[in-house]
Amino acid sequence: MATTRAVLTPESAHFPASNFAGFTTVNGRPALAFDAATDETAYWTLAAPQGLAGALSLVVSFIMASATTGSVRFQAAVEAVTAADATDLDAGTSFDAANSAGGTVPGTAGYLQQVTITLTNADSIAAGDYVRIALNRDADGTSGTDDATGDCYVLAVELREA
Amino acid sequence: MQIPPCMAVLDSTARQAIRDILMRARNVGAVNKPDLRAAIDATDAWIDSNAASYNTALPEPFKSTATAQEKTILFCFVALKRAGILPDQGV
Repeated sequence: MATTRAVLTPESAHFPASNFAGFTTVNGRPALAFDAATDETAYWTLAAPQGLAGALSLVVSFIMASATTGSVRFQAAVEAVTAADATDLDAGTSFDAANSAGGTVPGTAGYLQQVTITLTNADSIAAGDYVRIALNRDADGTSGTDDATGDCYVLAVELREA
Repeated sequence: MQIPPCMAVLDSTARQAIRDILMRARNVGAVNKPDLRAAIDATDAWIDSNAASYNTALPEPFKSTATAQEKTILFCFVALKRAGILPDQGV
């Protein structure tokens, strides 16, 4: 049975200096608005939970602002740093290669859909690591088809272990 | 020198910019990005194909005195008003 290892909420996200997903509320629900034309990113920081052993995936729950046709594509990258790693955290980043997945949007805007991104590249994450997860909508479709128009509202993200 | 009735047909970058602006500004969710871009391309091509006809329809002295940009803006303002999104006080 799969195990939820972390729940990443819109309120707990932080953002790059530019091209960031916009924090908003949709019908009172906190959400991150990912643009349809420009790749925008959100980050989450966590300590890798104890007992981490299996394959990880990121389950992204979202609704569309207006699109009723097409697909969205997400990319997720992991930065996992172990104590004494040769990574200068105040000078750069150390994300592993991006993982990606996409899904067809619901036929009605506002209906919930989920996309599961398998974190094949997880930067050798280990229990206790300092971890950042970067999530972006691949609006320009470099990793796959993203042809749904309008904003994609991410409502919640689950870090799941198989 | 003959004044061109409208500004030049848009290049791909400009049409893509329209697509991006339109997605942010309006609900165009019933079509996907390629379909929206195709509609933009067709609209720009139609404007280019019918520019001379539009210019012919304009009355004097506006036809002879207005610039190509002014004629294009006039067309846009009329269209926006017909679409119900141009306020009475203008932009």
